[in-house]
Amino acid sequence: MITNPVPGPTAVARQWFLARSDLDALIQALRKAGRTVIGPTVRDGAIVNDEIQSAADLPAGIRDEQAAGRYRLAERSDDRVFGYTVGPTPWKRFTFPPNLPIATAHLSGGFGFEQPHITAPQLAFLGVRACEIAALGMQDRVFLGSPFTDEDFRARRKAALIVAVQCTTCSSTCFCSSMGTGPEVRNGYDILLTEIDEGFVVQAGSPAGAAIVAHLPTRRPTHAETGAAVDSVEAVRTQIGEPLPIAGIDRRLQHQLDNPRWGIVAERCVECGNCTMACPTCFCTSVTERSDMEGRTATTERQWDSCFDVNFAKVAGGDFRARPRDRYRQWLMHKFSTWMDQFGSFGCVGCGRCITWCPVRIDVREELQVIAPVIQPVERPVAVEPVAASPGDFSIARLASVRQETEDTTTLSLTDMDPAFLAGRPGQFVMVALPAFPAVPISISRFHSNGIDLTIRAVGATSTALVNLHPGAKVGVRGPLGTFWPIEDAFGRHAVVVAGGVGLSPLHGLVEALVANRDRFESVSLYYGSRTPEDQLFRDDLATWSAGKAIDVAVTVDRAGPEWKGRVGVVTTLFDMMSCDCSRITAFVVGPERMMQASVQSLISKGVPPERIHVSMERHMECGIGLCGHCQTGRYFVCKDGPVFSLSELGDLYVREGI
Amino acid sequence: MHARAMDDYAAVIAMLNHTWFGAELAPETQERLAKLGNIQDFEVDEVILHEGNDTRAMGVLVSGRLALRTLVPERGPVTILSVEPGDIFGWSAVLTDAQAQSTVVATEASRALVIDGVRLRAALKEDHALAASLYPQILNAVARRLRATRLQLLDLFAR
Amino acid sequence: MASTGKAVRPRVAVAKFASCDGCQLTLLDLEDQLLEIVTRFDVVEFPEATSRRSPGPYDVVLVEGSISAPEHLDQIQALRKQARVLVTIGACATAGGIQALRNWADHDAYRAAIYDHPEWVESLAKATAVSDHVRVDAELRGCPIDGGQLLELMTAVLVGRRPQIREEAVCRECKRKGIVCMVVASGDACMGPLTTSGCNALCPTYGRGCYGCFGPRTGANAKSWSAGLMQSGRAPEEVWRLFAGFTGYAEPFRSVLTELGKSKG
Repeated sequence: MITNPVPGPTAVARQWFLARSDLDALIQALRKAGRTVIGPTVRDGAIVNDEIQSAADLPAGIRDEQAAGRYRLAERSDDRVFGYTVGPTPWKRFTFPPNLPIATAHLSGGFGFEQPHITAPQLAFLGVRACEIAALGMQDRVFLGSPFTDEDFRARRKAALIVAVQCTTCSSTCFCSSMGTGPEVRNGYDILLTEIDEGFVVQAGSPAGAAIVAHLPTRRPTHAETGAAVDSVEAVRTQIGEPLPIAGIDRRLQHQLDNPRWGIVAERCVECGNCTMACPTCFCTSVTERSDMEGRTATTERQWDSCFDVNFAKVAGGDFRARPRDRYRQWLMHKFSTWMDQFGSFGCVGCGRCITWCPVRIDVREELQVIAPVIQPVERPVAVEPVAASPGDFSIARLASVRQETEDTTTLSLTDMDPAFLAGRPGQFVMVALPAFPAVPISISRFHSNGIDLTIRAVGATSTALVNLHPGAKVGVRGPLGTFWPIEDAFGRHAVVVAGGVGLSPLHGLVEALVANRDRFESVSLYYGSRTPEDQLFRDDLATWSAGKAIDVAVTVDRAGPEWKGRVGVVTTLFDMMSCDCSRITAFVVGPERMMQASVQSLISKGVPPERIHVSMERHMECGIGLCGHCQTGRYFVCKDGPVFSLSELGDLYVREGI
Repeated sequence: MHARAMDDYAAVIAMLNHTWFGAELAPETQERLAKLGNIQDFEVDEVILHEGNDTRAMGVLVSGRLALRTLVPERGPVTILSVEPGDIFGWSAVLTDAQAQSTVVATEASRALVIDGVRLRAALKEDHALAASLYPQILNAVARRLRATRLQLLDLFAR
Repeated sequence: MASTGKAVRPRVAVAKFASCDGCQLTLLDLEDQLLEIVTRFDVVEFPEATSRRSPGPYDVVLVEGSISAPEHLDQIQALRKQARVLVTIGACATAGGIQALRNWADHDAYRAAIYDHPEWVESLAKATAVSDHVRVDAELRGCPIDGGQLLELMTAVLVGRRPQIREEAVCRECKRKGIVCMVVASGDACMGPLTTSGCNALCPTYGRGCYGCFGPRTGANAKSWSAGLMQSGRAPEEVWRLFAGFTGYAEPFRSVLTELGKSKG
């Protein structure tokens, strides 16, 4: 019976106590009300849902053990009758029969099609669990939620009275807690039983349920009894835990259409379709025609079908899902992704039947976590607690000196500042503000004993004002902010720094650190490309580094006059010089977006592992501390989670248009 | 220019093997190129090829650096690419009546295996095995240059 | 096709090669429909039912049995020429049958061990499916075939449509019938996931794992299933026996057996 949700668990519904020895009274009351009672009973080594005549048919003192591809019954140490979890029979069997005649066609007595008269048996479902109530609700949306409805389903659903049972035990295959469908039954029942030591705490969820309960030999439960009922369900929730991290999995799966795991799981899958048959929500069917020998009358029968069937997506011209991996992907993505688009919820209730009844022991939870793993938020140690950590707050620093680097780029040396800035790390940035000018993010290009250098290209109002300041001027600074270059990722490896144009600025401090710790690296190289020789930053340092033996420096320009004797060509041509085993390179890359893209592609094609390629992202930042939202790139706040990221952290987000 | 006739082909082949262009070639092709060409040394600022002139020879740079320069009105000569050891220059010598698209100047003391264009074309025409081995590698070198030129066209550092 | 049932009665022949005749008997077992069948079809050749003989051509030929003896080679070619529609029935005709197990054995040694005068017995070294020799228009699987499927085939011929014979795993029929999976609940061996449906899960209904007599369905992942059986502790010999049933010579069962044979040495 489609019941309206009861007001909710908080509105304390009236409760009764029914002794275990009186449970048969419930079954007989249901039968007396004209209902056939379908409930759990032991058959062929499993607890199936089938017609029961009395409480003697129930599996008293029996429990189940479930694992992937395995189901066994065992004895309980008590005489509980609901001390097990879901068995092989989904309730859809009774609301959505596996075989159903849906039409008759005839030629004799006129050409026509007739629908059978819908007759739904008056049933009572005994022992429906929370996940199964959710599953019935999902099929409600599938069959009754659109303008085109399944009236046979409607009639059967309406004719079924639901006697729900709270789960007081769980199996290793249960994951209702992850899917948000259980273990508590909250609504969708006519009668609810919670089994405790001596019997059942009973609630009614509908007038029909209340009418039945009224005929039972109940009494008011004690506080101990109602308390035990609540505690036992709560204990199950704790026991199940959170077996499948589900948040966002529907979206994550959509990015995994080409994941190689689909092929790997398909090699195991035997496409028996048992998962879809055992699933309480799977609703796909096919029809078969049967006719008499003359072809004058024919019946159409609908049967449960499965998307694992090799013919399921076939048309005359071919098969749209020809490979087993296509079919596995269709099923899993339907349950956990596209069902959401179609019906507004997951298509899985976490009952675990597809896991238990898979004869080759495939566990969807495991597959999902491999195919669409949860992305862990970036957690990096904070180098130093930033100073002035709220958007309007700035610490004061004094401008010690100004040095023109190129025509439009200037280095400001700041001093007389909070010592926290000096403890920052290469790759971090500061927010710099002047009165009446909006704060701008500037990366720290050098750390001195008494201050920091900021190398600024005059492109906007604030940066232009900054480069026009004279020594002695005061500026407001906030920081140091953001992530820093993971220098330790290059220990024992070839450290390669790739810089383009003003991108050398956030890398300058890193190069100094690499030089200072030269012994810890197999080699250190700097590849620096700029537009023209005149656009090179830090020319004195480049000359010093080139002259020394500590690091290999190679510079190139895109174009030059005849006085330039160096390389001409894009920065990626410098990678031809790399003669080492590229899998042992750790690279640090900054430059204009297109230059970084070309560099990263080239590095990857040479075999540098993506997790060893670190880039610094430039994005619009206003607050620098993850509050204003401007710099969001996919799941990241670039100011807070970056600006330094490894390529594997960025994944799909790297060089994706419009993110 | 300082040209030396080298009878010691083995030494030339060893040099070729030190270039990415030459190392990929079949041993027979390396030997054929060594016999067809000669090793030449260029001094700093020596002009190897003038823009607009016929490409008379193709070279494989063994050491040093060459600049490819184009004259831009009002801006004077602009270096658009440098040729680094391992790369080739004058590749259009494999085409008939090809003219140099840029001036080739040595910006450092350089050494190259230089092969006369007429002899090279004749050899390629009559020796199909040589053509089958050399052309793909020439195309590879041209493709590298094309890729780099595209990136330059994008003006990565544009403001 | 035959709206009156009298106008043109399709000529039907039943032929047999190496087989036990059980599939032909399935036709006779359709007791309720038998009268209607002989009314609507002109059954001109049916050795199991009548000694009457009638030459071709035939509208429909139902072929039982595998090609197992030298004379079968010419006979099947001749039969094909006489048949408008040729339908193979049963595991022998569609897969080689139980007698195809000799295809992995030393044929001459077997023959010498069994017959006093092996030289009197002429048989081919391998028993093979009819489709290895001639074009087959439809096949009914099983040992024996399913009466319902046979009736559907005959009906389809009369109505002039393609027979609706589903090709799905036996597991589907099991699940629709509500049978508890004995692989999962009891650890029994079963060929159901690989085997074509059509029997209405006959063996599982009676508490036995599927023997695979309907043969492998399209795309059956025999490799995974055999690997899984061994992982769950079954000896290669046991897995060999599971696959080497009525349809062991049909691919991909055949490849599994050949692989297992190799590993046995």
